[in-house]
Amino acid sequence: MKKLITVTALMLSALCSISASAAEGDVGVAATMDDRYCTTCHGADGVGNLAIEAPRLAGMEGWYLKRQLENFRAGIRGTHAEDIPGLEMQPMAEKLSNESITDLVDWIGGWEYVPAAVTVEGNDRQGRTAFQSCAACHGANAEGNEALGAPALAGQNDWYLITQIENFRSGVRGSHQDDTFGAQMVTMSKTLRDEQAILNVVSYINTLQK
Amino acid sequence: MTTPVTRREFLNLLGAYGGTSAVLQAGAALGFMPNTSQAADISLMANNGKKVAILGTGISALTTAWELTKAGYDCTLLEASHRPGGRMFTVRSGTVIDEIGNYQRCEWDNDPHLYFNAGAARIPSIHSSVLKYCKELEVELQVFVNESKTAWVQDDAMNGGKPIRNTDYSSSMNGFISEMLTKSLGKGQLDSDLTESESETLLGMLRSFGDLNEDMLYKGSVRAGYGSGGFLDHGTKRDVVALRDLLKTRLAGSVMVTTQEGTGSGPLLMQPVGGMDRIIYAFANRLGDRIKFRAPVTEVMVKDDGVEVAYEQDGETQLLKADYCFNCIPSHLMSGIPNNFPDEYTEAMNYIRRGRAYKAAFQAKERFWEKENIYGGITWVNAPSAQIWYPPHNIHGKKGIVLSAYNFGGANYTEMSQEDRIEDFLSAGEKVHPNYREMCEKPITIAWHRMNHMLGCAPRWARSRGGWSEKEEHMYETLRAPVNGRHYMIGDQATQHSAWMESAIQSAHYALADLDQRVRTEPA
Ligand SMILES: Cc1cc2nc3c(=O)[nH]c(=O)nc-3n(C[C@H](O)[C@H](O)[C@H](O)COP(=O)(O)OP(=O)(O)OC[C@H]3O[C@@H](n4cnc5c(N)ncnc54)[C@H](O)[C@@H]3O)c2cc1C
Ligand code: HEC
Ligand code: HEC
Repeated sequence: MKKLITVTALMLSALCSISASAAEGDVGVAATMDDRYCTTCHGADGVGNLAIEAPRLAGMEGWYLKRQLENFRAGIRGTHAEDIPGLEMQPMAEKLSNESITDLVDWIGGWEYVPAAVTVEGNDRQGRTAFQSCAACHGANAEGNEALGAPALAGQNDWYLITQIENFRSGVRGSHQDDTFGAQMVTMSKTLRDEQAILNVVSYINTLQK
Repeated sequence: MTTPVTRREFLNLLGAYGGTSAVLQAGAALGFMPNTSQAADISLMANNGKKVAILGTGISALTTAWELTKAGYDCTLLEASHRPGGRMFTVRSGTVIDEIGNYQRCEWDNDPHLYFNAGAARIPSIHSSVLKYCKELEVELQVFVNESKTAWVQDDAMNGGKPIRNTDYSSSMNGFISEMLTKSLGKGQLDSDLTESESETLLGMLRSFGDLNEDMLYKGSVRAGYGSGGFLDHGTKRDVVALRDLLKTRLAGSVMVTTQEGTGSGPLLMQPVGGMDRIIYAFANRLGDRIKFRAPVTEVMVKDDGVEVAYEQDGETQLLKADYCFNCIPSHLMSGIPNNFPDEYTEAMNYIRRGRAYKAAFQAKERFWEKENIYGGITWVNAPSAQIWYPPHNIHGKKGIVLSAYNFGGANYTEMSQEDRIEDFLSAGEKVHPNYREMCEKPITIAWHRMNHMLGCAPRWARSRGGWSEKEEHMYETLRAPVNGRHYMIGDQATQHSAWMESAIQSAHYALADLDQRVRTEPA
């Protein structure tokens, strides 16, 4: 057996190098410096990643995606000191050019929609009642309404919906003076009285996944 | 010392600086030198062609691949990045730093001495597995100087902001500590359990430890360096820095402990000649085209008889079917990759927090530190940049790479722009070296929290400073047990002492031993 190992080891050392990246003869490939790094945080195929608190992007409407990237870039979103996940996203958008945003919206638009896994459980029947006031803007099936600027909620990670509603309620999101769309949600989020009400409405949204 | 600090005052101060727990920890650690004096002897049963998928190319993954390949397994490594090595990353001329939202390309002179270990940088002599592979794979090592007594300590709150030499600081601190302990000896508190002869020994030790005079008082020491003379003429002592002044900085904890070996630090450490990634490439070049680069894993499905791994390459999704899978993808990234792991496994994965750390470095036009009698070691500053390291290699050469920031814990650089980071370390450094800014060429910075495919410096399991909870111990056991005997989580995330290469390698050895056991007992 000992002999076998030596032979394999020798064979291995003969099998070197693809292309130089660190020093002459080292394996590796050339680095690219593009802006398509989103999946590192947002999960493989953009399915969202709880450990990073980065939501699902796959299936997101292009117009909403574009606006959020522009808002992050301009510091309209993701600059509040208590917005820890937002503060992680904001620098990711800071250096994006208009062309890059167009490319990203295009690229992400090609990802398959997969509804996010259900991770919370509340009273969806009570949530259904509360949702009636949301439906006016977000659509009866939470499918979103471009004309009103309200995105789809169905299929989004439930943990993310909860943090966003809480963020709107506390003003962590939507209180920047130029965040006109966010401001509407600050008002609307106050119709949900407490954590339980938020949980209920999100549980109801979970039942609407296409 | 204008007004003496009383013992009570001193102990209070010590307490405020975490001294008590530091003392307790030191006590508890006695006799607990990590049991790494012997590297594990890996002797896997030779195996013909079982297929193994290895996810990521961290040192744990490369160790696994190397050992399995030697034993005849058929390994494929999938790496999301363009380069192998994860957190063992060396920056030199031409290197791309893929910090997300802050890409940089290193433009330093092309010279083998001019490199910077942006991740792991130091090898302690007790990390036997790391050293074992360096030897086996012929990675040349050299000494790394972790502490230099001529390096500086600077804090705006101390000595009017003027830096003092490490030796000024530590000699005086040792002197004052000795003086105070000596005073309390014989008063029945400290020495009630000591025999007369033990007390005498202790007294003698304190006297020489602190360089006290005949009256057992600290009145300065030539160990702090001479005020003048010292060679042709008699040396004179320098002025004593008052204890109260020394206590104005919170840097004491760092200045006084860099030489403690057991934690993996120490005065003598090692580094590979030419950069830490020499270890990575020693493995990776031998593994050759078994490694697929820019091949991010997008799904992991554990089956009854193996593991199916989907990955992307050149825009196409590929499927790799293997008998076994070893996975060092950081758990917080694995959470975003669809899988069919059991719930408690996923729960454990999601539980681990990712630490924040950052470093910065620049090419120095001249080796200005050598003109200040510094040839390595660390200067401590009270700023987000925290540390300055001077390269111990290529002494008296033309240029050198200076580490100009290294800190962890807070967000700091993670949320700062490149310009602000550079300004931070320049303004901190020029309080120590007046010509610092002028000497700085082509600075680079790296915030590990934002590094592509890593997003963290080290996994953090324990939420409480007091140690691991029972729940955490349980989750840890869950995560390091294989799923269905097929999928192994490896890397320093699957150890109880993260942030060390040694831990990552030992996680691989642990998993390999388990695999070997299974293969040996398999019906033929
Ligand atoms: C700033 C800093 C200083 C350090 N200093 C020291 C030191 O002085 N001494 C010491 O011993 N240790 C040090 N360490 C720790 C040491 O670097 C690590 O413990 C060790 O390198 C971890 O190895 P690993 O095997 O866990 O894998 P990692 O290095 O964590 O590798 C993970 C791999 O997974 C890959 N990956 C991620 N996503 C995917 C995907 N979807 N598909 C495929 N691959 C993927 C990554 O690209 C990477 O290659 C330091 C670390 C840092 C950050
Ligand atoms: C370092 C991790 C990270 C990277 C890289 C990253 N994001 Fe994010 N992103 C986040 C986090 C965390 C959030 C959640 C912010 C919050 O809670 O408000 C987020 C939020 C978003 C949102 C808001 C979603 C919504 O429903 O309003 C969009 C859009 C987005 N990211 C797009 C992108 C795109 C496009 C990229 C690639 C160019 C990208 N992100 C890269 C971490 C990241
Ligand atoms: C008046 C119209 C309106 C109503 C009513 C409304 N919303 Fe919204 N909502 C919006 C708009 C506009 C946005 C997008 C904000 C932005 O662009 O930042 C939004 C965003 C959200 C988001 C963030 C989605 C994401 O991907 O980040 C959540 C969650 C949300 N709304 C939940 C609700 C719920 C729950 C209700 C009912 C209680 C509700 N909304 C009612 C207009 C409305």
